[in-house]
Amino acid sequence: MTHVSFPTIEFAAFFLVVFVLSWLLMPHPRAWRPFILVASYVFYGWVDPRWVLLLVASSVINTFAAQVIARSPSAVTRKRALTGAIVFDLGLLCVFKYFGFFVSSMDDALDGIGLGSPLPLVQIVLPIGISFFTFQAISYVVDVYREDTRAASLGDVAILQAFFPHLVAGPIVRAEELLPQLRTPRDPRDVLAGPGLLLIAGGLVKKTVVADELARRIVDPVFTDPSAHSGAEVLLAVYGFAAQIYCDFSGYTDMAIGLALLLGFVLPQNFDRPYMATSLRQFWHRWHMTLSRWLRDYLYVPLGGNRDGPRRTYRNLMLTMLLGGLWHGAAWTFVIWGGIHGTALAAERQLRERLGAPRLPGWLAWLVTFHVVCLAWVFFRSPDLGIAFEVLGGVFSSGPSPLVTLPVLFLTVVAIAVQAIPPGWWRQAESWLVARPAMGQGVALGLLVVAADAAVGEQGVAPFIYYQF
Amino acid sequence: MPAGRVLVVLLVAMLVAALLNSEAIVRAGEGMNEGSTRDVVLSVGRPIDDVAGAVGLHLPRKGLDLAFGQEPKTASGTELEEGSTAILRRRRRGRAEPDYPQPSSGDPLDVLVTGDSQAEFVGQRLPDAAPSGLLRATVVARNSTGLTRPEFFNWEINAEQEIADRRPDAVVMVMGGNDGFNVLVDGELFGPFTPEWQTEYARRTAVVMRELGSDGRRPVYWAPSPTARDDEFDRIYRVQNFAVARAAQAVPGARYVNLYDNIDGGRYRATSRIDGQEVISRQTDGVHFTREGALAPARLVVAEMAKDFPVLRVGGP
Repeated sequence: MTHVSFPTIEFAAFFLVVFVLSWLLMPHPRAWRPFILVASYVFYGWVDPRWVLLLVASSVINTFAAQVIARSPSAVTRKRALTGAIVFDLGLLCVFKYFGFFVSSMDDALDGIGLGSPLPLVQIVLPIGISFFTFQAISYVVDVYREDTRAASLGDVAILQAFFPHLVAGPIVRAEELLPQLRTPRDPRDVLAGPGLLLIAGGLVKKTVVADELARRIVDPVFTDPSAHSGAEVLLAVYGFAAQIYCDFSGYTDMAIGLALLLGFVLPQNFDRPYMATSLRQFWHRWHMTLSRWLRDYLYVPLGGNRDGPRRTYRNLMLTMLLGGLWHGAAWTFVIWGGIHGTALAAERQLRERLGAPRLPGWLAWLVTFHVVCLAWVFFRSPDLGIAFEVLGGVFSSGPSPLVTLPVLFLTVVAIAVQAIPPGWWRQAESWLVARPAMGQGVALGLLVVAADAAVGEQGVAPFIYYQF
Repeated sequence: MPAGRVLVVLLVAMLVAALLNSEAIVRAGEGMNEGSTRDVVLSVGRPIDDVAGAVGLHLPRKGLDLAFGQEPKTASGTELEEGSTAILRRRRRGRAEPDYPQPSSGDPLDVLVTGDSQAEFVGQRLPDAAPSGLLRATVVARNSTGLTRPEFFNWEINAEQEIADRRPDAVVMVMGGNDGFNVLVDGELFGPFTPEWQTEYARRTAVVMRELGSDGRRPVYWAPSPTARDDEFDRIYRVQNFAVARAAQAVPGARYVNLYDNIDGGRYRATSRIDGQEVISRQTDGVHFTREGALAPARLVVAEMAKDFPVLRVGGP
């Protein structure tokens, strides 16, 4: 899937223009709003302008539904408007993301019972970022329905959905987080440049130096043909993928948040040292945090949460995680990924309820949590279930291990160990960075870009993993 | 920090990056599709590159490339860019194909699958198309590359480096999707539907085949593009297939894998019937295979490989 990705020449030029014009227009909201909206649509429609129509349609329908919900005194009308919006949003996802999966699964099932009449397979383009902006739209109308936020104008909703730093792969922003910022012009004298630049630089390094290198040197070769690799290589590829996906996705999010900060907007945090978690519950408070809270607030809690006894709670946990898995993609590998997390969360909860406070030593709890997460990643990364089971079986095979090299080990360990660094250290680094002269900061950032490009080499930056969702 | 100061930081960063990275910017521009973005990148990048080169600012980047183990993928004066069409006549001298050592489950065939982005899924499915345990594939896809723009990515140099690094038993090359550009022959530009383009494309293919096969020491299976949804691409790919078939006849150990005519009867289809199941076989760009669809070309490649390695024939030699 082609697209305008953050670490590219095209995006650098685009951002520079947007940065200048955005701050020039900031004191004039009537000019700034259409500008930032058009800029975001240009970013989104760079490859295929037709996708913009989809985004516009989503904004129009959800704004209309939210207005009806906000204005109607009738509970029935409000509920109908909410249901209509959710059906529309989920309908979009179903058509664009799940139609092929549904048809081929149905076809397999019919074939299995001897009714082999194939359903029509239709090739449908998956618009980039559809899962993100759809979830954002649902959260907006539900929040209006719950009176957690006020209904906004079409322009505001359109910017909320399309604001380019978060449009393609999150964070999934709630209306209450961005709309108030859109209503108040940002102060050009107080740009949060320290954290912004550090996040952009850090995200660039995570993506180009760690994630892409690990993918190229160990993860992709092993997951292409696990049977051709030794147990040591397979095991390192599993840990390597844990490091890769963290650096890839959090690298993207860091850049998204950093870019938004330079434009004067604060987006919610999406990662908080997830591999330091000592329980699955903690992991989900630290990994893809905006998705976890979406699943909690708009799925787990409406399903009943933990209000109706342990059995219902376990069922709700499992359902939430299975649907969370399916959100990533229409494949059984993602369903099993969600199933592993759902089962582990339920088991953990049961143990906690039966035994009280956790009795495992901290290091053991960390070790178990990390390995459950890695086990689930095997399914997440594998192109099909056959490869996933080959990877799991391959951990115990012997043979030479030419892919187990010092750089790969180093990158894997560093990507995971760096999360143990206390957040205060990063804040000190930000303060130090801001105190440097502008020239020095620019030179340092420029050198970092050159180094990142050299690390990537001729093959260029690989697409971010979460762009496909 | 005031927005103006942030702008200074960004501008300085971009200037430093542009000066130290000017060669990479020009190369990136050369790798872009024809259009205004490419024109802008090249018209800005080339003068900067001239200045940077003149004052020695290429050196830090070269040092970094060395530190990261990156090898240059372009050079001037290679045979790929300029060479004789005599290479297309070489095999007529009557060289016999060598007998290649046959793989076994204890010593499977090490296959390097390379090419452009189309190589990715075809390479991934190659072991699935061969008898279990007899073939080990390493996939190295060089996205957006082809033979028509050696100034952006020189496949002769890359082939030499890959073979020296990996020493595979056999090579599968899956490439052609990016090769619709005009080529320069004796100072004149020719488009894909001219005899000059076809001869030049065949010549370049032969040069890379020879490098990948180390002049016949290992077999090379070259699979150019299959049919495409877009009519113009489709016609270019057809011409390209003729050129590759011609090159394969001239280079010892090279075999042409005809995906164009042998998948879906030579007519583009987005879905195919594979093992009794209808699957979406092409990606939405109308060119690339999906992972499910890539099994069909992988099988065609293995069928061609089985001519040199009979044990790879599904169902036994």
